[in-house]
Amino acid sequence: MARYGEYYARTLEAEKNLSADDYTEDNKRKKKRTQGEIDLPFLMITMIILGIGLIMLLSASFARAYYESGNPTKYFVKQVFFSALGIFAMMVISRLNVNFISRFSFLLLGASLLLLAAVPFIGMDEGGARRWINLGITTFQPSELAKIAVILSFATLSCRFKEKMKTFKYGVLPFAVILGIIVGLLMLEPHISASIIILAIGAVMMYLGGTRLKWFVMLGIIAAAGGFLVLTKFGYAIDRIKIWKDPFSDPLGDGFQIIQSLYAIGSGGLLGVGLGQSRQKYMYLPEEHNDYIFSVVCEELGYIGAMLVLILFALLIIRGYWIALHAKDRYSMMVAAGTTTLLFLQVFLNVAVVTNLIPCTGISMPFFSYGGSALVLQLAEMGIILGISREIPIKRAG
Amino acid sequence: MASKNKKFIQKANVQTQRRTLSLVIVCGIAAFLVMAVHLYNIQIVKHDFYEQHAIEQQLRQTTISASRGTIYDSNMKVLAMSASVETVFISPAELKMYNENPEFIARGLSDILGVDYNSIMEKWKDTGSWYKTIARKIEQDTADKVRDFKNKNNLKSIHLEVDTKRYYPYGTLASQILGFVGTDNYGLEGIEAKYDDYLQGTSGRIVRATTANGTSMLYTKFEDYVDAANGNDVVLTIDSNIQYYLEKHIQQAIADYSIKNGGMGIVMNVKTGAILGMASIENYDPNNYQKISDKAQEKLNGLTGEDYLKKLAEAQISQRRNRCISDTYEPGSTFKSFTLAIALEEGLVNDKSTFYCGGTVAVPGRDTPVHCWKSAGHGSQTLAEAVQHSCNVAFVNIGLMIGAEKFYDYMEAFGFFEKTKIDLYGEGQSLWWDKDVFEDRENKSQLAAASFGQTFNITPLQLITGISCLANGGKLMKPYIVSKVIDKNNNIVMANEPTVVRQVISAETSKKVCEILETVVNGGESTGANAYVAGYRIAGKTATSEKIGQGSDDYIVSFVGFAPANDPEIAVLVILDTPDPASGIYISGGIMAAPAVGRIFADSLPYLGIDPIYSEDELSSRNITVPSVKNMSVADAKSALEGSGFSVRVIGSGGSVTDQVPAANVSVISGTEVIIYAGEAKPEAMVYVPNLYGKTYSQAKNTLEAAGLYLRTTGVAPSASSSTIVVSAQSLSSGSQVAYGTVIEVTLVESDTSIMETRG
Repeated sequence: MARYGEYYARTLEAEKNLSADDYTEDNKRKKKRTQGEIDLPFLMITMIILGIGLIMLLSASFARAYYESGNPTKYFVKQVFFSALGIFAMMVISRLNVNFISRFSFLLLGASLLLLAAVPFIGMDEGGARRWINLGITTFQPSELAKIAVILSFATLSCRFKEKMKTFKYGVLPFAVILGIIVGLLMLEPHISASIIILAIGAVMMYLGGTRLKWFVMLGIIAAAGGFLVLTKFGYAIDRIKIWKDPFSDPLGDGFQIIQSLYAIGSGGLLGVGLGQSRQKYMYLPEEHNDYIFSVVCEELGYIGAMLVLILFALLIIRGYWIALHAKDRYSMMVAAGTTTLLFLQVFLNVAVVTNLIPCTGISMPFFSYGGSALVLQLAEMGIILGISREIPIKRAG
Repeated sequence: MASKNKKFIQKANVQTQRRTLSLVIVCGIAAFLVMAVHLYNIQIVKHDFYEQHAIEQQLRQTTISASRGTIYDSNMKVLAMSASVETVFISPAELKMYNENPEFIARGLSDILGVDYNSIMEKWKDTGSWYKTIARKIEQDTADKVRDFKNKNNLKSIHLEVDTKRYYPYGTLASQILGFVGTDNYGLEGIEAKYDDYLQGTSGRIVRATTANGTSMLYTKFEDYVDAANGNDVVLTIDSNIQYYLEKHIQQAIADYSIKNGGMGIVMNVKTGAILGMASIENYDPNNYQKISDKAQEKLNGLTGEDYLKKLAEAQISQRRNRCISDTYEPGSTFKSFTLAIALEEGLVNDKSTFYCGGTVAVPGRDTPVHCWKSAGHGSQTLAEAVQHSCNVAFVNIGLMIGAEKFYDYMEAFGFFEKTKIDLYGEGQSLWWDKDVFEDRENKSQLAAASFGQTFNITPLQLITGISCLANGGKLMKPYIVSKVIDKNNNIVMANEPTVVRQVISAETSKKVCEILETVVNGGESTGANAYVAGYRIAGKTATSEKIGQGSDDYIVSFVGFAPANDPEIAVLVILDTPDPASGIYISGGIMAAPAVGRIFADSLPYLGIDPIYSEDELSSRNITVPSVKNMSVADAKSALEGSGFSVRVIGSGGSVTDQVPAANVSVISGTEVIIYAGEAKPEAMVYVPNLYGKTYSQAKNTLEAAGLYLRTTGVAPSASSSTIVVSAQSLSSGSQVAYGTVIEVTLVESDTSIMETRG
């Protein structure tokens, strides 16, 4: 800690005369000077995970694709296309200055809110919920956009409020209002898992932005109370908790999905049943190419393979935080750390759900789960981090 | 200001940086450790538990029914075979899993299979079950309809399973011998049960990993085959033709003589003990073994509930009973053959022996004397005559000459105390006196009764096995019904060879017995005359016995014969249970059972390749085939016909034959006058068939000729002089209209009841 502190104190000397508001102009001026190489380890790990993700998507999806349409590579081909699109987006965004991107923070937030407000009306009905907007070639969840909008706008606000972040009026209220509106709109869809992620990422951004910890304690208490109320008053939630505690209490009904997932993961054992050899993907696992793709990874590649994937994710996340810690300014640091945390939240919640660590909800696995717009956005987010990595001040030797 | 800003930025940066570092620890390390531990718990610690459950749901085990072996007759005609059918079942668990519509499926299956809609709806209720049978063993085309319904509506909770069904191509033929198989393909009766181990085979199974929809997984081939070992084929000694003759003639006798309780019959190869035919009438159709005969069903009319079910079960059990081996009966006079053989073997009697019958004979230990069936008595008789007359008095005397101890020993030697060990289930146990009772020196009544075959019980199979021993040179053979078991490549798996149990009498005695028994059929005024078959030397013995423990009106009539008498090949036994006295027909084995045996011989002996040898008398009165003389010159036709034994009348003056009556290739009695038309037309008129019943041979012939019809005979030899040989049946009923020149076949019988043994 101390060493990083010193390091930062030193690297930030260059900006000693700049206020947060001056970043943009300053960077425009320094662009040529400071834009270095993108962070190769972060890019490499991203590409490796994406590669493994594509292979596993092919393996996980071909059975269902075959039975649905007769074309076993239906999902895979689409995913490859969107991977290419995502990589392109990632490389373009990595060239953009993060402070340039920050200009669009509120525009993005506003667009997200508008889309979220529109989704209950124009979205596709899927099992009683409207979460998706059909774009023709693919579908798109406005909640995905809201996540990155929250990161960018919260970072911008934090940097603008400066020390006022310590107060309730600035440090909590505006953020809480924004989150409240977003979650309120998400409840209309309804979309619980996205709400959880947005609340979590919002809290993390506030935490990074300097909101005092006591508010988190208070928020935590309120959340716990609210959660308790929901769990005891709403039958739907109680059922979820019951299934979570004992999936076998209703093996053919509500417990079916999680049991099938556990069967898949458990049958993997240490070394797995072999790539492509999953048996649970043959219509037993629901959403095996989507939310439950990690179960197929566990079944086919075993504990070793699953851990390898998780270690790659851990390395990517740690490297993301490393980039944040080395970012040229506080705004970049917050955006990088926030984006990295978003990635973490998705990975963790997905694994936690498919392994029944937490009650079942629908969260996809970054780079693995099938989904065009989500994949492009995830890669674009990686592009933002890579863009920040470019601007890490070159450390002088010695 | 700048300084404050700078200070703040520095402070804020450090805070953000610290908080980022805390995220590294929480999100980058701690959370992953939690996931690693949790995954370890699922994948390594609970691996076995989850894997086992996963495999349980992924693996579907399909049983491959072994193809059940075929049952062949001795000519390799198929008597029982298996064919593929399908069984339809539903899976209520999958119905729930895929949220399918139970009413729709139940309606569809009910329409296709004719199964009750409500019963299907009832089966859906067991939602934990994966297997509820809807219809078993349905034919391929019905199964295809179910498959179409399933596929068209993409239903996952309907399944079809390959199964086998047993077919019996000849229906009721030899049904009690063949038996049948239950729904689970296990033999339940007859050969199907006795040889089940050979026929069954070993079913195989396919274990395969399937998708949740039950289809094979793509590329993931996880399959394990255990091949089914098909069952072996069983070849019977039964000859389906002989079996057919046997059943046909027993059925005819039952109809002709109003037999109330059905009949039994066995045809045995006397030299080997092989069963060529064995029948119990009423029988049943093993293709539909639950169904009872119409006659039995009639008796159930009006019954309801448990009474009905009880009676139905009784009727089913009764029709499945192979009475030839399971039932015992009092053999009666056929048994005199054994008394005769023992006496000859022991040298107690010979051709010169004479026996006097005054109608009764006193027996030590018996209050009343034994009566002969002919109360006036037979007078003085030779040994052969005593047999021909079936004289009780003579046989009581012969029995007393033999003595109880010797008689008893012979009974044992002939196998009457033990089961024959034929390869069928359900052989009945004979009923005999205890040895010390039978050998009681003070009381010879048991011996006396046994001498003429009464007051003990044996099975029909025991009787014919003993008769075969008398006929074949004295060797008691072990009867058998399966000649061999073969596999699909015709390798012999098991074979039954003729087995000599023991030599009971000498070959010489056997020869003598054959000679004497032949006279029972051929000896003029004798009890077995109606078993006569032209061209063959038939030996045999009649019996008319009272049913033990029944009313005095209930009799069992029977006849056992074998042929050819000089070198016996086959023995035939026919037993008719309880002729109805109301029919007015004289109740006697000679009247009722002998003609049936004669007909069985008449069909079987030529079929077996035993050529008839006609005597002079027979040549003049046998049926011969009319040659075709059409288009021949009249002179040629005349000589051809006369050469064949016909007389000829020519009508018309043409040079060549334009038509003939009777038509070519029909058979008529020799000496018949054939009319040949030379240019003139044959009369087209129709004529009425006259009633010939009860007419003598000559009367019948004349009546027919007067009507412009022709005669062919069957049954006993036609005799122009006998007044007791009369027509008992005619092939076309009287009053029916037929073409001029049609041939009528009449059955001739010896009707002299004074010579026909009866009881009481």
